[in-house]
Amino acid sequence: MKRNNLLIVSLVLILAFTFSLSALGQDDPIKIGAVNPLGDITGRQSTNAMELAVKEINANGGLLGRQVELVVVDSEFKPEKGAAAIDKLATVDEVDFFVGGMSSGVHMAQIPTLKKYKKITIWAGAASHQAEQAIGPDADWYFHLHPWDYQQGASYGRGWTAIAERNEEIDVGKVFLAYEEGAFGTDSYNAYKSMFASAQEGEGPFAEIMEDFAGASFKSAALGGGDYRAMLRQAKEYNPDLFIWAGYDADAVPLLAQTREVGFEPPLFVGAPPGWPQGFEANPLSDKVILYGMWAPALRQVNEPAAHFWEEYIKMHGERPATYFAPLGYTNIMYLAKGIREAGTLEKEALITALENTTYDSPLGTTLEMSPSNIIKHQGFTAQKILQYQNGKQHVIWPFDLSTSEIEYPYSF
Amino acid sequence: MSLSLKKTYTIILLLAIFMIIVGFWNPNALMDGLQRGSLYALIALPLALVLGILGVLNLAHGEFLTVGFYFIYMLNNKFGMDPLVSIIPTIIFLAILGGIIYYLTVKKVVNKGHLSQLLITFGVSLILMEVVNIIWTSQARNVYTQYAYASTEIGGFRFGTYELLYVLFAVAVLVGLQLFLKKTRLGQATFAVGQNPKGAKIVGINVEYVYLFVFSLAIAILGIVAGSMLPRTAIFPAVGSPFTLKSFALAAMAGLGNLNGILFAGILLGVGESAINYIPNYGGWSDIVFFGVLIIVIIARSYRGAK
Repeated sequence: MKRNNLLIVSLVLILAFTFSLSALGQDDPIKIGAVNPLGDITGRQSTNAMELAVKEINANGGLLGRQVELVVVDSEFKPEKGAAAIDKLATVDEVDFFVGGMSSGVHMAQIPTLKKYKKITIWAGAASHQAEQAIGPDADWYFHLHPWDYQQGASYGRGWTAIAERNEEIDVGKVFLAYEEGAFGTDSYNAYKSMFASAQEGEGPFAEIMEDFAGASFKSAALGGGDYRAMLRQAKEYNPDLFIWAGYDADAVPLLAQTREVGFEPPLFVGAPPGWPQGFEANPLSDKVILYGMWAPALRQVNEPAAHFWEEYIKMHGERPATYFAPLGYTNIMYLAKGIREAGTLEKEALITALENTTYDSPLGTTLEMSPSNIIKHQGFTAQKILQYQNGKQHVIWPFDLSTSEIEYPYSF
Repeated sequence: MSLSLKKTYTIILLLAIFMIIVGFWNPNALMDGLQRGSLYALIALPLALVLGILGVLNLAHGEFLTVGFYFIYMLNNKFGMDPLVSIIPTIIFLAILGGIIYYLTVKKVVNKGHLSQLLITFGVSLILMEVVNIIWTSQARNVYTQYAYASTEIGGFRFGTYELLYVLFAVAVLVGLQLFLKKTRLGQATFAVGQNPKGAKIVGINVEYVYLFVFSLAIAILGIVAGSMLPRTAIFPAVGSPFTLKSFALAAMAGLGNLNGILFAGILLGVGESAINYIPNYGGWSDIVFFGVLIIVIIARSYRGAK
C-alpha cells in the first residue's frame, strides 16, 4: 500500500513538473529569426521596420498570449554568411520562423539550408527567377513577398501601356536598355529582348506599345567602370522614346551627369538599380528621373497603412524610411503575425493553411495575398510601381489608384 | 629609370600612329581614351614608384585611394569644401596615413620575400576597406559639381572637358617625379636606393628614411587622384580596389621603374579600351582587350630580352 502511495505521489510530482515546464514553455517568446545585410541601408531599414512591427505586436499583447522576439543576424551581403546565419538561427537561437532578406545571390546560397530545416519562411527580397527555380514547387513552407524579375517586367509593360493610353503625347515605341555587364544587367537585357520578341508577335506586356528595341552594355562603377560615354552616344544615335538603365546605385549620378555631357536627352529616362545613392533625391540631377519600386514616401498621402508606418517608423528610429525594404520588412513580420493569429496555433500545417488565406493591407499600398507564381505555391506581391523624382520627392505615377502625381514629361535638363 | 632615347621615340611614334587611326575612325573614342588612359597612368605612377624603389607590390594601393575619396567626401559634407580644393589637405592626410601604415606594416617586410609583402599589403587593404564600410556603410555616395560635366563643341565634335584635368595631372605628376629623382639630393638618394639599396647604405644614405619617404609620397599622390576623380565618380568601400590591378598591369607593361612608360602604357590601354567600347555590342570585350594587350607586350618584351 505504502509502495502504491509512493508511486502515485511520484507520478503526481512528475506530471506537475512536466506541466510546469510546459507552462514555462508557453511563456517563452515566439522567436522570429531575421537575416539582413545590416551594413546596407536596405537591410538596416528593413530590420528597423521589423523591430517596429515586433514592438507594436508586443504592445498589443503579443501572439497567442506570448511575446515575440526578433533575432537578427547580419548577412553582410555575402552568400556564405547568409547561409551560415540560417544555421545559427536554427541551431543556436532555435527560432520558430525565418524572415528577411535581400539579394538573390545571398538567397541562392541560403536555399539549401532553408530546405534542411523546412521551417516556415516568409522571404521579403530576392527577385531572380533562378532563386524561384532553386526553391522549387514542393516547398509549401516557403512564402515569397517580392515580385520575381519576370513579374516585374510584366508590370512595367502594363504600366507603360496604361500611361501611354492616358497621355497621348507619350510614345513608348522605341526602347533602349543600357545594362551593366554583370548577371543583373544581362538578365535584364535578356528579359527585355524576350519581351520585345513577344511584342513583335502581338503578345506579352509590351505588345501594344513596343515597336523597336536596342541595348548596349556598360561597365558598372561598382565593378571598376564608370565611363558611360560610349554607351550614351550609341543611345543618342538610336534616339529612343524610353531609355532605361539597369545598373547599380554607384552608376546613378555619374551616368546622369554624363548624359548632360554628351547632350543625350531622351523623353523618358528610367533608372532601374536595386537601390539609389544616399541623398539622390536632393541632387538636381534626379529631377524627372523615373524609377521602378514598390513604395514611395509620398504614398502616405493616399494610403492609411503607409501613413501609419511612416509616422511610427520616424517616431521609433528618428529617421525617415528611404527604401521600400523598410515597409517590406514591416509587412514581412505583420503578415506572419496575422497568419499566426488566424491559425490560433504555431502548428506548421495549420499555420501554412492560415497564411495561404491571410490578406494584409500593407504600407506598400497594395494588399498582400498569396497566389502561385511560375514555380512556387506562395507568391505575395506581383507588381512594381512606376515612380518619378519630382522636385526632390519620389512620387507614384502608376498604378493610377495610388498615384500621388501626374507624370512630368518629357525629361529635360 | 628611363628607356633609351631611341626606344622612347619609337614608342611615341607607334602610339601617335595608333591614336591617329583611332581618331580618324571615331574622335570621341580617342578623346575618351586619352582622358581615361591618363587617369589610369595617374593612379599607376605612385604604385610603380613604390614597386620600383621598395620592390613592394602594394595591394592596398586602391584602398588608400578609397580612403582619400572618403576623406574628401567628409570635407565636402562637413565643411562644403570643393573636391579640387580638398586635394591639398588630402595629400597631407594621406602622406601621414601612408607613413603610419608603412611604419606599422610594410617596413617589417621590405627585405622579406614577395609573398610576405603581398600578404601584408593584402591584409592592410582588407582592414582599410572594412573600416570604411563600418564608418560609411556600403551605400554609394556622390559629390556632385556641375563643372565636372561641362562639355564643349568644336566643329560638331562635342567632348567633355573636365577629364582633360587627368591628362594635365598625369603629366604634372610624371614631370614632378622625374625632376625630384634627377634634380634633388633626396631624389638622387631615392634613385640610388632603387638601384642598389645595399650600396646606397654603404655610401651613407639612410635607406630606411628613403623607404618611408617614398611610400608616404606615393600614397600622398593618391590625394590628387581622389580630389580630381571624386566629382566624376560614386564612392563605396570597394571603389578603389579595381585600380590596384589596372595599375599593376600598367607597371608591368611599362617595365619595372619606367615612369615614362606608365604614361604611354596608360594612354595606349585607355584608347584601346575606349575604341572597343565604341564598337556596338562589343563593350564587354574592353577588359579582355586591356589585359590581352598587356600579355602581348610582356611576352614580346620577354622574347626581346632573351635575344
